[in-house]
Amino acid sequence: MTQTTTTPLSGPASSHATGATALIAPGLGYARGRQTLARRCADSLALYAILAPAFILLAIFSLVPFVIAISTSFFDYEVGGDATFIGLSNYLEYFHDYTFWKSFGNMFFLTGFHVVAVMIVPLAVAKLIFSLSSERASYLYRILFLFPIVVPNVALYLIWRGVMYNENGLVDRVVTTLGFSLPAQGWLSGPDTVLWAIAFIGFPFAGGINVLIYYAGLTSIPDSVHEAATIDGATGLRKFLLIDVPLVLSQMKLLVMLTIIGGIQAFEGIYILTNGQPGFESMVPGLWMYQNAFLFQRMGYACAIGVILFLLILALTVINLRYFRTSEQLQGDT
Amino acid sequence: MLGAWALLPPRGNEAKPTVRLGTDATTAEPIPPTVKHVIKFNPGPLYLPGIVRENSTKPTDGIARVGRAFEQLYPDTRIEFVGVAADAREWLVTQLVSGQAPDVIQINVEDVWQDVHKNWYVPIDKYLDAPNPFIPSGDPGSEKWWDVFKYPTPTRGTMAPDGKMYCVVLDMIETGIFYNKNIFDRLRLREPQTWEEFLALQQRIKHAGYTPMVVDRQCLADWAVDLLFEQLYGDMRELLDLDYDPRRGEYMHGYLDWHELIFLHEQGFFTPRDPRWQEVWRILKDWRPYLAKELNPHGSQLLLKNFVTQKAAMFWSHSMTVDRLLADPDRAFEFGIFYLPPITSSYSRFARGKQMCVIGGSAMQYSITSSAYRDTKNPDTSERLQRVVAFLQFLTTPQNCDIVVNEQIALLPNVKGVEPHPELQPFDDFLQRHYSMTKWLYTFDNQWNQVLMRMLELYLNDGIDRQRFLEIIEQDLERATDRIQKRKSIDTSQLQKVWNKRLPLLRERFAELPPAVVGTEE
Repeated sequence: MTQTTTTPLSGPASSHATGATALIAPGLGYARGRQTLARRCADSLALYAILAPAFILLAIFSLVPFVIAISTSFFDYEVGGDATFIGLSNYLEYFHDYTFWKSFGNMFFLTGFHVVAVMIVPLAVAKLIFSLSSERASYLYRILFLFPIVVPNVALYLIWRGVMYNENGLVDRVVTTLGFSLPAQGWLSGPDTVLWAIAFIGFPFAGGINVLIYYAGLTSIPDSVHEAATIDGATGLRKFLLIDVPLVLSQMKLLVMLTIIGGIQAFEGIYILTNGQPGFESMVPGLWMYQNAFLFQRMGYACAIGVILFLLILALTVINLRYFRTSEQLQGDT
Repeated sequence: MLGAWALLPPRGNEAKPTVRLGTDATTAEPIPPTVKHVIKFNPGPLYLPGIVRENSTKPTDGIARVGRAFEQLYPDTRIEFVGVAADAREWLVTQLVSGQAPDVIQINVEDVWQDVHKNWYVPIDKYLDAPNPFIPSGDPGSEKWWDVFKYPTPTRGTMAPDGKMYCVVLDMIETGIFYNKNIFDRLRLREPQTWEEFLALQQRIKHAGYTPMVVDRQCLADWAVDLLFEQLYGDMRELLDLDYDPRRGEYMHGYLDWHELIFLHEQGFFTPRDPRWQEVWRILKDWRPYLAKELNPHGSQLLLKNFVTQKAAMFWSHSMTVDRLLADPDRAFEFGIFYLPPITSSYSRFARGKQMCVIGGSAMQYSITSSAYRDTKNPDTSERLQRVVAFLQFLTTPQNCDIVVNEQIALLPNVKGVEPHPELQPFDDFLQRHYSMTKWLYTFDNQWNQVLMRMLELYLNDGIDRQRFLEIIEQDLERATDRIQKRKSIDTSQLQKVWNKRLPLLRERFAELPPAVVGTEE
């Protein structure tokens, strides 16, 4: 059933794209072939001139520090002190660091948790909003779900810390007031509870821009697809899973990628909530990198951690791009 | 182009003088062009002008008054008081490395010691040995600035291991256990005389439904570890202090600096095989049930609140808590202060029931940074540096110290002729005791500090057992040793000679030494 409904529709879409490329590409190739190199450079000069300031600023503020960070990672460099070349020692030391396995485990757990959350909750909310019959109500809900974005993250974390915090926290106060004193505990200070407590920060994970991204994806699905599915007998959850979800895979891929990158890089939330404690039970590599750089002054070591994180992000992004198919690719396949 | 234009300052602002900071905005005034030296001074959070302390309504202005008086003496100088970020270490490192740090900063001297080889700080020995020109002839300090300090031994104790002084100590702080007299009376308790009494007392308080003791995690890792360490190793301090420098004074006799700790660790001390080392952590763990559930409550305010609201019967804190308690409108009880009692041999076979040492001492420690001589880049020829030193000398006259320190009931003035508030008398008594053998939390570097604090909390909260805790601490001590060796290029050959002489004595006089020290470790 799915094939009969999606194939006819996806076919023209992909052939349209192919057709457009076919129309443009030969023309360009033909024109370029007849131009001299000097002429082509002269034509492009204005474009390069317009691009140059953005590229120069990007180079100064992003690329050059990146290269410096890579080179610093091969040095034993204490802030304010001398730098000594030590080859891969910083990397080797990090692989034997007592935080290494723990912090990467924590990072993968938290990132994985949020990847699952971002794949499910905002999509479900977007679908519910999309299904509202009243355009006014749909608009209102979109605003309401977007509204939390105006709250600064630091304030958000502090509020959550107040909610989670031990005897004085809202959670434990409510639990105790209801007469269940036994489960009340230091959620953020208990070795067994801290990671779950951090993972649930932001519950129910439906606020912010994610809902809107899915909503935009849902609105781009032609009505005819839904009508065809209905004619074929697909309704409710079945229609959602078999029609909507495959057609918002591009959005899902984007959000998953952003969540992975954010999960690997981010540490400010944990810094505010627990600072990686108790012990190193909630430590993540980003926070350890920050502490080494600015608290312990071990800039070379911190850069080595940063480079490892970069390589990890790069690898996961490549895997995501290569193996996580978009809706367009899915349509192309079918 | 557009970006560069946007970064240009607005027209007309170029000639405007800067506005002095750190003072009340309503009284801020432009600095006239005749002012040659603008000295940036970080007086620490307690004295920063404009700060309104907890339970107070009056902004602090003592040091601002002293600053204005100094400016009248030196019209070409302005004192600008600046605050520092909460995590001062990160902020300071960035400021120091970029040459933007205030000329004078309040910083724990142990942090200064870590960085002296980077020339970020100015040694002030030659000024301390010279007269303080602001003190009338014949008064203490008029011949040697050193003589003005009321607590000379703790003040000398801030001398760095390289034998130089990097800070001026304006006042003293000490720890003490604040207790609720009402609860004590109700439960018929008295101030404990021994550690066993102390634990029994807490047991009774706990049975009565109170939290016996609240203490911050960092204080526990800092104070408790040092105090217990001194109780168990105190008898051998004379033998373990392998490199005593008489210039640092009697106060530091028996004090173990990083190179001594490193050397002793290499000989087998402070490892899981060292029975005394094990005992330190055993005693702490046995104390844990009487401490508040939460050891890391994001600031001491919650701890204080628990004490004030009579949920907790005791609060281990320091003299800066006194005025907060006195002024707290929620406090409905009398409080007393006592010091941690000694551990007797009946509680631990390594203890001898000797009085606990002190661990506080110097409070506001003002160090001069390399920013102070940026006019000539040479501390020997810098007029600016002379002016910075002059302000510190001016600050430590009896009159000015009184204005600054006694504005609050928090710290004890470290200048002769200035009496502390009577409420702080117990701390004055505590300060007469001998000093700690070492500062485990601040001796090495911040990485060591972090690991010790974090793992101690995890151990005390049953996150790991004692054996695992000791193994991690040993690993980290070795890593810290490597880092310090790299940073300081420590030569232990001299220590080895002294050690060879003392080892037979140590073996003869003390039982249960680490196997490596006794020579039985394989």
